[in-house]
Amino acid sequence: MPRARLANAAAAAAYEALPLPTTRDEAWRFTDLKDFDPSSFGTRPAAAAVTNVPQLLDLDVAGLATVTESGITVDRAPEGVVFEPLSPDHQRLYELVGWNEKFAAHNAAVWEHGLLVHVPKGHVLRQPLYVRLHNSAENGSLFFRLLVIAEEESRFTVIEEYASARPDLPAYTNAVAELYVEQAAKLEYVSIQNLSRETWHFGTHHARVERDAELDWVAGGFGSKRGKIRIQNDLNGPGATSRVTGAYFADGSQHLDYDTFQEHIAPSTESDFAFKGALRETARAVWRGMIRVEPDAQKTNAYQENRNLLLSPDAHADSIPGLEIMANDVRCTHGATLGRVDEEQLFYLMSRGLTRSEAERLIVRGFFQDVLDRIELEPVREALGAALEARIPQT
Amino acid sequence: MALLELKNLHVALEDGTEIVKGVDLRVDTNEVHAIMGPNGSGKSTLAYAIAGHPAYEITEGQILLDGADVTEAGADERAQQGLFLAFQYPYAIPGVTVTSFLRSAINAIRKARAGGVDDPVPVPEFRTELFAQMERLKVSRELASRYLNDGFSGGEKKRVEILQMAMLKPRVAVLDETDSGLDIDALKIVAGGVKELVGPSMGALVITHYQRILNYIQPNFVHVFVDGQIVEEGGPELAQELEKSGYAKWEKEKVA
Ligand SMILES: Nc1ncnc2c1ncn2[C@@H]1O[C@H](COP(=O)(O)OP(=O)(O)OP(=O)(O)O)[C@@H](O)[C@H]1O
Ligand SMILES: [Mg+2]
Repeated sequence: MPRARLANAAAAAAYEALPLPTTRDEAWRFTDLKDFDPSSFGTRPAAAAVTNVPQLLDLDVAGLATVTESGITVDRAPEGVVFEPLSPDHQRLYELVGWNEKFAAHNAAVWEHGLLVHVPKGHVLRQPLYVRLHNSAENGSLFFRLLVIAEEESRFTVIEEYASARPDLPAYTNAVAELYVEQAAKLEYVSIQNLSRETWHFGTHHARVERDAELDWVAGGFGSKRGKIRIQNDLNGPGATSRVTGAYFADGSQHLDYDTFQEHIAPSTESDFAFKGALRETARAVWRGMIRVEPDAQKTNAYQENRNLLLSPDAHADSIPGLEIMANDVRCTHGATLGRVDEEQLFYLMSRGLTRSEAERLIVRGFFQDVLDRIELEPVREALGAALEARIPQT
Repeated sequence: MALLELKNLHVALEDGTEIVKGVDLRVDTNEVHAIMGPNGSGKSTLAYAIAGHPAYEITEGQILLDGADVTEAGADERAQQGLFLAFQYPYAIPGVTVTSFLRSAINAIRKARAGGVDDPVPVPEFRTELFAQMERLKVSRELASRYLNDGFSGGEKKRVEILQMAMLKPRVAVLDETDSGLDIDALKIVAGGVKELVGPSMGALVITHYQRILNYIQPNFVHVFVDGQIVEEGGPELAQELEKSGYAKWEKEKVA
């Protein structure tokens, strides 16, 4: 059997064998999947590709690909790099994300549409590579797999944006990303999720960062019903650094869950994860962060923080930081806070003529300002800032 | 028709405790009124109630702005109609620069005045005005790009309150203890800033418990405020008298 078939079959077996996680599993303690049945979502593609899906980003891009339930199209690819549909036989598949977990296994078992981004040694792209992922099939599922290989000293940006054809589309999406950042390369990876409020969304993103390489990651969460995004960065060579910036806004009955893992394998590595979120109505956010420093990873410098702003009395957030340190000469810090919009601040702003919603917007914008300032790409920074503010209803 | 008129104003805390116990006051253009009273007499409560703070309930009486009854109006509407309160203790808004805050406030007021249609101030016009006002009030340029009141010294906060007033150009300004925390030089600048604005289109109500600021902003009227009420009114000479004798006379009366 070809390698691809073997992998799919092994993954399918694993998927069948693994139970759907419950709140008795530590990682899922705050994210209940009891109303979710992955098999109730069809894998048959939607008839036609969608158009007019609302997007947050407006970019000048070097490459553009569009992924829907019915396939992937590469609309534009830059010279000198590989930007093409991912072959199921690719040698580097499954090394970072295999099938030892329910949703990773589901993806490995059934994915068809993937994207390969392979940038050769020393190649620099000034403009980003942009992937649009659109779901439009009622009760449909979308499985996507991204493989990025940033060869030595290459520098480029990959941006993915998830959106749905309708804000109330019931669906299931499952995405996996395997990112290899090789020696002295710099990869900027932006993943923005603005799926329908009835989409169950699961993501497993794993990057390996080699000697002196730099990974700069932005995660934006706006849509979806419930699910989990897992982000793992392995700092695998001395001098490797990774920075992950998360910004999310949930309202209604949305439930967002981020599970991050900073894995320091080599000495003198640095990781800096900062997630901020605002929650309205009965929305809920879960953030679980783990820093693990392996015995050889002396001189590690690791930081993680999660700060939530609650805009309604019934909104709720759980932050679970974690440290597992097996080396002795390291610097690890973490912080988590939960705040509410202060009535006195609101009054102060309103006494200057701002309406309550304008005042709330300003406070929310201010709350996110420091994480937005970490985003180097201006159009991404602006789009995220605007999207965050826009979530405060205008009265 | 007065610019600001308080008619038999009573204000209570959420637990029902009455703090302001029947205040009548008229402030007109070209006028500076001083309210002087001891600590805890209810001056800030009066100021907050005028500005529309939701925690202070107006249990009786009326507030008129340019003749319009705003007793029930929200703080934002009052500000849009030309009321300004310089806070005794201004709040910090992390992540929002002084500049972007001022632009948002000006645009909010312009929008309200344009009947709900966006009418943003042109950026060059805004900047020119901002820099001119900062220059006049000796507010350092650097402060404009810092987050509003975040880590500001007491004096910086007070100056930025006056800067906001100068930028928003209200009809009536209520200044709650703007003098406290200012050294003499800063006090002169702030007083000068207020004096310049008081005129045919603005009146001011200056709340203080020291006479010091009144040396620089000559009030036309002085109201002595004790235990939630105006107990005596007069001209500027009353401030001088208070400086000498204090509030003991009225506070005794209360006990008796
Ligand atoms: N939000 C509140 N909750 C409880 N008590 C309050 C509140 N606001 C004011 N008070 C009380 O009302 C009284 C008047 O307070 P207020 O701040 O208005 O006085 P003030 O004259 O401004 O005093 P100061 O000279 O110290 O500024 C005080 O006894 C104060 O403790
Ligand atoms: Mg006071």
